[in-house]
Amino acid sequence: MATATLERSSERDVGAGRGQWRELWGRLRVKKLAVISMVLIVVIYGSGLFAPLLAPYSYTDQNLDRALEGPSRDHWLGTDRLGRDMLSRAMYSARTTLIVTAAVLLTGSIVLGNGLGLLAGYRGGWIDNAVMRAGEILSSLPGIPMLILINAGLAPRAIEATRWIEDHTPLTGLTGTGFASYLIVFAGLSLFSWIGTARLIRALVFQLRERDFIMAAEGLGATGRRVISRHLLPNVTFLIVLQLSSGLGAIAGSEIVLTWFGVGVQPPAPSFGAMLFDGSGARTFQSHPHILLVPGVIVTLLLYAFVLLGDAVNDSFARR
Amino acid sequence: MSGQNRVLAILLGVLAVLVVAVGGLSTVLLLAGGGDDDASTGGSGITTGTSGGASGGGAAASGVLRLPGTDPVTLDPALAGDAGSAQYIVEVFGGLVTITPDLEIVPDIAESFEVSPDGLQYTFHLRGDAFFHSGRPVTADDVRYSIERAASPELASPLALPYLGDIVGTRERFFGLAETISGIEVIDDATIRFTLDAPKPYFLAKLTYPTAFVIDRQQVEANPRNWTRQPNGTGPYRLREWRLGERIVLAANDRYHLGAPKVQEVHYLLSGGSALTRFENGELDVAPISVNDIERARDPSSQLNPLYQTSPEFSIFYIAFNTNVPPFDDVNVRRALALAIDRKKVAEVTFNNMVLTATGIMPPQLPGYTASDKTYNFDPDAARAALAASRYGSAEALPPITMTEVGGGAQAGIDTQAFVEQWKQELGVTVEIQQTDFATFLDEQDAGRLQMFNGGWIMDYPDPEDILDLKFHSESQLNDVAYSNAEVDSLLDEARVVRDPERRIQLYQQAEEKIVSDAVWIPLYFSLNHSVVAKRVQGWIEPPMVLPRLRFVEIVE
Amino acid sequence: MTAYVVRRLAWLPIVLFVVSFLSFAIMRFGPGDPVTVAAGQYRDPEVLARIRAEKGLDDSLVIQYARWVSAALRGDFGDSILQRTFTVSELMFPKMWVSAQLGVIALAIVFVVGVPLGLIAARLNGTWIDPFIVSSLLFLQAIPVLVLIPPLLWLFALQFRILPVGGWGGLIDIYWVGGVVALPIPDPHLYLPLLAYTLGGFAGVARLVRITALEVTREDYIRTARAKGLSEATVFFRHILRNSLLPIVTSVGLALASVVEGAFFVETLLGIPGIGSFLFEASRSRDYDTIMATTVIIAFVFVLTNLIVELTYGFIDPRVRVQASR
Repeated sequence: MATATLERSSERDVGAGRGQWRELWGRLRVKKLAVISMVLIVVIYGSGLFAPLLAPYSYTDQNLDRALEGPSRDHWLGTDRLGRDMLSRAMYSARTTLIVTAAVLLTGSIVLGNGLGLLAGYRGGWIDNAVMRAGEILSSLPGIPMLILINAGLAPRAIEATRWIEDHTPLTGLTGTGFASYLIVFAGLSLFSWIGTARLIRALVFQLRERDFIMAAEGLGATGRRVISRHLLPNVTFLIVLQLSSGLGAIAGSEIVLTWFGVGVQPPAPSFGAMLFDGSGARTFQSHPHILLVPGVIVTLLLYAFVLLGDAVNDSFARR
Repeated sequence: MSGQNRVLAILLGVLAVLVVAVGGLSTVLLLAGGGDDDASTGGSGITTGTSGGASGGGAAASGVLRLPGTDPVTLDPALAGDAGSAQYIVEVFGGLVTITPDLEIVPDIAESFEVSPDGLQYTFHLRGDAFFHSGRPVTADDVRYSIERAASPELASPLALPYLGDIVGTRERFFGLAETISGIEVIDDATIRFTLDAPKPYFLAKLTYPTAFVIDRQQVEANPRNWTRQPNGTGPYRLREWRLGERIVLAANDRYHLGAPKVQEVHYLLSGGSALTRFENGELDVAPISVNDIERARDPSSQLNPLYQTSPEFSIFYIAFNTNVPPFDDVNVRRALALAIDRKKVAEVTFNNMVLTATGIMPPQLPGYTASDKTYNFDPDAARAALAASRYGSAEALPPITMTEVGGGAQAGIDTQAFVEQWKQELGVTVEIQQTDFATFLDEQDAGRLQMFNGGWIMDYPDPEDILDLKFHSESQLNDVAYSNAEVDSLLDEARVVRDPERRIQLYQQAEEKIVSDAVWIPLYFSLNHSVVAKRVQGWIEPPMVLPRLRFVEIVE
Repeated sequence: MTAYVVRRLAWLPIVLFVVSFLSFAIMRFGPGDPVTVAAGQYRDPEVLARIRAEKGLDDSLVIQYARWVSAALRGDFGDSILQRTFTVSELMFPKMWVSAQLGVIALAIVFVVGVPLGLIAARLNGTWIDPFIVSSLLFLQAIPVLVLIPPLLWLFALQFRILPVGGWGGLIDIYWVGGVVALPIPDPHLYLPLLAYTLGGFAGVARLVRITALEVTREDYIRTARAKGLSEATVFFRHILRNSLLPIVTSVGLALASVVEGAFFVETLLGIPGIGSFLFEASRSRDYDTIMATTVIIAFVFVLTNLIVELTYGFIDPRVRVQASR
């Protein structure tokens, strides 16, 4: 839905300049829900970013004598099956979510999505055809099943690859940080996340190309790359950001889901997916509800905040 | 104003949908509350379209045992290698010998057998009153056909050589070099003789496994693809119905030669979620207890408590070290890791004490098991001393250690995480966990790439050979830790052929002690079965391994 | 139009080819194979080689793929290693049927509830009810199914004991009241999965309907109709409703996507023998034939639905055709 409204609105607003940022910010600021969402996202991601500084314990610190305790003064959100601090684990899980969303955003949406979108839109012809058909095929695949398949099949190879990197470069300790599992998760997600951005960018570029200033630049003999970087990019950045904000929640959600299914981030790296899995049993919920509720509430709030923010951004943008 | 009415109308529409849903729900509630049993049998019976089930609801009370279950992978005895399939197969089929709930090997289709003085020839005399379910008597030819088929290259069963390979000529048959197995000789309709490649006291035990079970040649040849859907066996029960994912119905074979079953029908109900909840709703007669429910079952004030029973199982969980790969080629490093973990505490916290802390390698009830603890127990000081005595001297000098386990991400073993943390706390040793799927795990294991890994072993027949020889003899295919100890090998070699049972057991006990002391494995737990059994069920047996047991059960109202 | 339809239809086999080839390649790229898994502890390399030869797994990838395609075209999807008594087709189609029944009912509920909610929100635009509806639906959408199901199970199956813990019992149960009157009621196994499927889906449909209804209301012809003095009811039903329902067709595809993906969690968590849990099990044990068959079938349904949606939309709104052919 978000894409639908965006595309409709974007037709009117192509070629907006710098002032639009300020304007958007002004509109968002007056929306209480948007502000609350932003605060939520900043708090959750911030606690992830600074988890090593903020977390009261390490995420592996266990105390077998204090397993499955409810909230207390020592452990604000209680402890898990091994007596590990739930608050610390949640903060480190937020870190995982942050890393994965950022990486997917960067590779999938920004690099792949923009690159292919600009290329297809600007060059047209067979390149455009190939990119759009590839996108069409990917978007007609059922995402989660394919991701599970890809991750199950490729994860062992990714581990081999990291071992190879360790053996052949000065880098060490990659395997231990679960680098391979991050790699495979965000590579898989990137594969599916570029399509929306690329389509949007391509459509915009098509429109912009008809505009006078691009034609003028081309007429003056500017190279393709120069046209893209000087004239096209600045004009579509705003829309790219809008598009991205609506997709962030989906990316965060996918990582959690993949990990829950056992094909995502691997221990020792903590993840909301693994935390949710620990608490997912009706009996477990009955006896120790905090095991599910702590990650569950945080994840729900995060996803809700993303949806509300996306909605608010769309709204203020569409109404201009 | 009329706009308001529209909205009202739409609201009413939504309400109506909600009402229908809530109404339906409360109807279920009402009816379920009204007549417990009727409602539940009616529910499953009618939707599956088996009107018989619904109308039989009343009669079901006396002669029907209702168990939880899962679909077997296969009902072909020659292909079944998993306990889930075997539990059905041992009830439907039979072999020359069988195993009693007391783990004694007794004649089944054979009436008697004799072993030649050199221990190489086994001659079985078939009983005259063993019939297939179809009524045809079992002949020696059927036995030969069944075993030659199980070892045939076309069937390509991975179990053929492990279970039948002791018979001369099985390998040739499996690799397509011979049409028959030369070591099997049909003497007359009622007599068959096997020749072994060496005297092997555990050969009889292997014959109790499904691979050697007797199948009906006529049926298999008439319908090679689908015969297992209505298999014609010789066991105490025959398969009456199998609805994939819904139910399996076994009906008593009244002519069964070892004594007719007492329960007329056994219904395995394959769907419907938590078995315990269905047990409490009166839909099942037996249910396993999971870690989440164990406290309730143990609580003396709970209704489940008087129905709760627990018994050992023939299986062990362990951490294995690849003795070929540094740092685990050093016995002191292995000992240090073994001494640094508190298995009892972890079992208590993560498994709610649903497992037994292992005292050795041989599980309880196995011939040779002793209760004395042979393992390294939690002792941080001794652990640090062992590490200091190793050629590395300290944790910092150790190469990186990775522990591999089957599973992925969220499905990770919580106990493994606990051990890893203890190694870090007590020894300062960092162990990385690497999780892979089963296929990758096996692949890496075969390539000898694993440093240390989490494993489990389920016994297939009640003989120490099935674990000690298979896992620790330096020449065994299944020795996946590259363990090679000449002393252990000679003990195991002698135990393979020695005829005196007591001496055999002693040899195995000595071997076990050596292996444990070498810390090739850290034996973690022996598993326990936990279940609740309804009062109406008498004679329910929870044996440590899969064996025919249903015919001993009785329903008493 | 015909050329357009033909072109879109030609797309279907191409997608299926790509999907099947990708799955085939991905599976075989990973280490280990079903023979190793099936053999488990008994892995004599010689024996495994013999078994692979017997099953044709040592042929080249291209030959194996070609063999798979030609068998699949004849409707033979091979054998599962998870369930050797039945063929993949025999296993898969009943599971598809279960998933399809659940999916279609869930879709129907999403629309039956979502559309009126969207219309109500649009109608009450400007009052507190509009944002209230939208934000509560969005909240429902934000709760992951993984978080939602355990509390629901606890509440309905453990506390109140009115719903089964999971499993599948068909659609309709018939209760005989006094042995005379047959009373059909929905099977109790249906409630929890349907709840889990639909709660998150309302927001999408409702928001789309709301936005379109709001836009339609602002259109000139509505103002004209109102100015003509047509009754509010006529305006609503003849103009607003009809025009707002058009875009809903497109959202069928979106809603279907969420149902297919939801099937994985819901079926796995609630033990429903559907295609989602089937594929998940298969992908864990390298069950080649099962994975191939299920991914291709899921992709087929997926693509076909999107195609039908697109074609329907093309018939309704000619602009789409023009755009698509550009």
